[in-house]
Amino acid sequence: MKVEPIILIVEDDEGHAILIRENLEAAGLSNCMLHFRDGQAALDFFFKPGAAAARGPGQVYLVLLDIRMPKVDGIEVLRQLKADPSLRKLPVIMLTTTDDAREVERCHQLGCSVYIQKPVDYDRFAEAIRRLGMFVTLMLVPPVNGN
Amino acid sequence: MTREELLARLSALESVVPPPRGGGDHEAELLAAVTELRDIKAALDEHSIVAITDGAGRITYVNDKFCAISQYAREELVGRDHRIINSRHHPPEFFRDLWTAIGHGRVWHGEIKNRAKDGSHYWVETTIFPRLDAAGRPVQYVAIRTDITRRKADELELQRFTAELAEKNKELEAIVYTVSHDLRSPLVNVQGFSRQLARACEKIRAAAAGAVEGRVPAAALKQPVEEAIPQALRFINAGVTKMEMLLAGLLRYSRLGRVALSIGPLDMDGLIANAVAAMKFQLDEAKAEVRVGALPPCLGDATQTNQVFANLLDNALKYRVPDRPLRIEIGGRVEHGAAIYTVADNGVGIPCEHQPKIFEIFHRLDPDATAGEGLGLTIAQRVLERQRGRIWVESAVGKGSTFFVSLPLGESSVPTQS
Repeated sequence: MKVEPIILIVEDDEGHAILIRENLEAAGLSNCMLHFRDGQAALDFFFKPGAAAARGPGQVYLVLLDIRMPKVDGIEVLRQLKADPSLRKLPVIMLTTTDDAREVERCHQLGCSVYIQKPVDYDRFAEAIRRLGMFVTLMLVPPVNGN
Repeated sequence: MTREELLARLSALESVVPPPRGGGDHEAELLAAVTELRDIKAALDEHSIVAITDGAGRITYVNDKFCAISQYAREELVGRDHRIINSRHHPPEFFRDLWTAIGHGRVWHGEIKNRAKDGSHYWVETTIFPRLDAAGRPVQYVAIRTDITRRKADELELQRFTAELAEKNKELEAIVYTVSHDLRSPLVNVQGFSRQLARACEKIRAAAAGAVEGRVPAAALKQPVEEAIPQALRFINAGVTKMEMLLAGLLRYSRLGRVALSIGPLDMDGLIANAVAAMKFQLDEAKAEVRVGALPPCLGDATQTNQVFANLLDNALKYRVPDRPLRIEIGGRVEHGAAIYTVADNGVGIPCEHQPKIFEIFHRLDPDATAGEGLGLTIAQRVLERQRGRIWVESAVGKGSTFFVSLPLGESSVPTQS
């Protein structure tokens, strides 16, 4: 059984979200992609009552997370995902415009898988997603929804 | 120099000094020496604060400068010890160490904070020189001091400025960080969609190259011409507009720091009435009810303070709850020597975790809900800081927000700490 991870793009800038999606598709990724416009929307997807049931069993996810967003920022989303025992193993790629060393360090401490700075090298970016996608597919089925 | 060396030096000295020839010459020499010593002492008294104590620390002599700075008369000082001017600024160990040094015949240097008769404090740079008897025990202590009160005050001021500067630097760093991020964001779109534009051009070129008999099939052009290119142009234009707006905002913010302030007494009743009148149209349109209480006067720059309150009123309008009439209450009071004004609304309110962020440059809590560049409160904060004022907020989601503005009350009550 091969489950393609659904790619969650958490990004407040509409242009960035389109570029990410188009470049991933151009690189040959055929994964389903969902777009969330801020951190709160992403948290709702995972933590709202009934969210786990709505996601469907056995489904794997990969999160592309911007940092500076209105309402809830990416660092807070990352922190909450990594603090949850059933979501902890979810691969999270921080995708952000800053290269501030403290910010990078903070994200790694919190447990992000990869940190990529925009404007991105889309080839490297697609490669990272492909590998992580393979990784979740092979190793972590079903990582989410397990109690 | 050891004791043995000293004795050897002394005996060597005796052997070279010619024996006194006659009594008259000897007396003349003595007189000359005494005169010289007296003049040196006069010079010392002109420059320094001098006190002499006996071996137990009791004052036996003070010069005029000592009396002047300590505000005590000579009779009040002689016979007492230095505790009379103790400011209690220094810990007991400080004086213990001092006494250990001079008690062992060593010269002591240091800075002491003393208390004058009227309770005011003064700082003296001090040298205490123990005069020893033949056995090497101190019999007298000569203390020579210089008034350094002014220097100490300057040092303190300098420390305060340094801390303030460090704080400002940190703020500036945070602004540069935020702005560089915010400027990069549209740049990513300009770069990314430029590549999309290039790819679309490439498709059109390929279609043109493959044209049969000079005819390019419309189907090959549809995607680039109708979708890719317009989308790319839309985002590139939006990116450029955003960058322009950010730069204009940044310029406005930086200009604020250079505008000369004209600080004077402000009639706040009048100022607020004007600010409300200037927004009458928008307030009426929103059916807003504005209540203004009695406001204490304060010290500030009229134009800039007006801008602060105009911004707060504008925010109350912007973040009102659409399905209930907007109520704004403006009040004022005097607290801890400052005038504190409140602008309270019954609007949407700000969640706790977002409250510290609302003063950050270009920060927008909900960019889709309302227009704005995220600069109003940042500017209000900057404007108030320059007038030695402050702004802060208390808010509850669904109930409304209250903004507090403090400004100095008057000349005499301007806080020394900014």
